Amino acid sequence: MTRPHIEPYVELNEDYKAFGLPGFTGSDFKTLSLDPETGACSLKVRFNAGYSRKPGMSYSDMELFVLGGTMQLGDQVIGEGHYLFVPAGMALPAITSEDGCETLVFFNDAEPHWQESDEHHELTLKAGYVSLNTYKDAPWSGGSIVSPSVATGCMIKLLRYDPLTEAMTFLYCMTPEFMQDNISYHDCGEESYHIWGTSWMMQFGDLPTGGYFWRPPYINHGSFRSKLGCIALGRTDSKLHNYFHFNPWTNPSENLHRAASMLYRQRPQLFKWVAAHGGHNHPHGPVGQTAAVAPTDVAPTDVAPNDFEHVDYGDDPQVQMLANQVMRFLEADRSGHHHHHDD
Amino acid sequence: MGDRVQHKKPSMSAEAREWLEQETDAQERRYAGIVAEQEALTPDREQWYAQFLEIVSTRGFNVTGDQRRVIPEDELPTRPDRDDAMNVVW
Ligand SMILES: [Fe+2]
Repeated sequence: MTRPHIEPYVELNEDYKAFGLPGFTGSDFKTLSLDPETGACSLKVRFNAGYSRKPGMSYSDMELFVLGGTMQLGDQVIGEGHYLFVPAGMALPAITSEDGCETLVFFNDAEPHWQESDEHHELTLKAGYVSLNTYKDAPWSGGSIVSPSVATGCMIKLLRYDPLTEAMTFLYCMTPEFMQDNISYHDCGEESYHIWGTSWMMQFGDLPTGGYFWRPPYINHGSFRSKLGCIALGRTDSKLHNYFHFNPWTNPSENLHRAASMLYRQRPQLFKWVAAHGGHNHPHGPVGQTAAVAPTDVAPTDVAPNDFEHVDYGDDPQVQMLANQVMRFLEADRSGHHHHHDD
Repeated sequence: MGDRVQHKKPSMSAEAREWLEQETDAQERRYAGIVAEQEALTPDREQWYAQFLEIVSTRGFNVTGDQRRVIPEDELPTRPDRDDAMNVVW
């Protein structure tokens, strides 16, 4: 189970609901998206004036972004633009909000969970804690932290990066008259909340202030425009690679196949290893197989994936040479690790 | 591999379970609303797609960053004969 494709959703049109779960009484919430099985979720939470809770921890990683107002976190006052990443099991000090504040709250592993505690869980990965005022204490940098890259005029502030999954949390903005004439998709889930301003994508139309999306992998989005500019909080759940193209009618399956074809061409040894060890009973993988159409005696995973953009890429001499290479260590890897059910 | 805090989580409380069920139902309604809204945008979207193909074949397509390539007429895609061709919510 995973979260459905919620795009676009403008939360400003909806009413808050009273939040009754432990740690949240005295606040109201709107669900932006959630995973029906684990309860992992993205919420807008309004902590009402007079809200207070004791020191406590959650069994889920938690992120919080202050949209407006202030909150007392132990002896620290945090306000507009403040971002927290709180690793599961890390106890936060008491929280109060005298005058109230509006926030985005993300629980990454489970439902909104909190229990009173003034001690960290012994297993907490406390080094992952992030606390900073993103407006005051982080500079805008060019959007080209990944390549292929967004067009100039889309800038980012990277707030958190997970070394295992390359999941990211970041602020991004688009300058007035921003434009980017391509269609993008990614291998990761992508999420955004528009703090202020409007951007436009040619699939979904305008995304205004308070606009939100949770977009699963391989879904087309763009081209992009922003007439007057915008600022947004973005997140991915794993590595963000920009696959750009110009075919508005492709579906997520075609996009995935094209991404796989790029792995086949661009990381051929990795592709072969994954195909051989990916649980498909193919100890020998696609070594030497370059045809874009399946020969009858070769299993489907042994075949170069279809690429709607470069239909004949399997004929390219360099691609063929790469596909035919057999690394000596890969041979050893193969003979030494037959832990799949290949009989 | 070490254990993680997440693995030690007590099972979901009845209260949390009920919250999750309510919010899941609400999300299903929200999803259905979005699908309907987006389907209603199809006539606009058809124009947006046509304008996009016009732009990439004249001013160009952003390959990466600000680098553009003008797409020749014979490389331009055409709409496939498929039920999901105009889908944008999946
Ligand atoms: Fe994206």
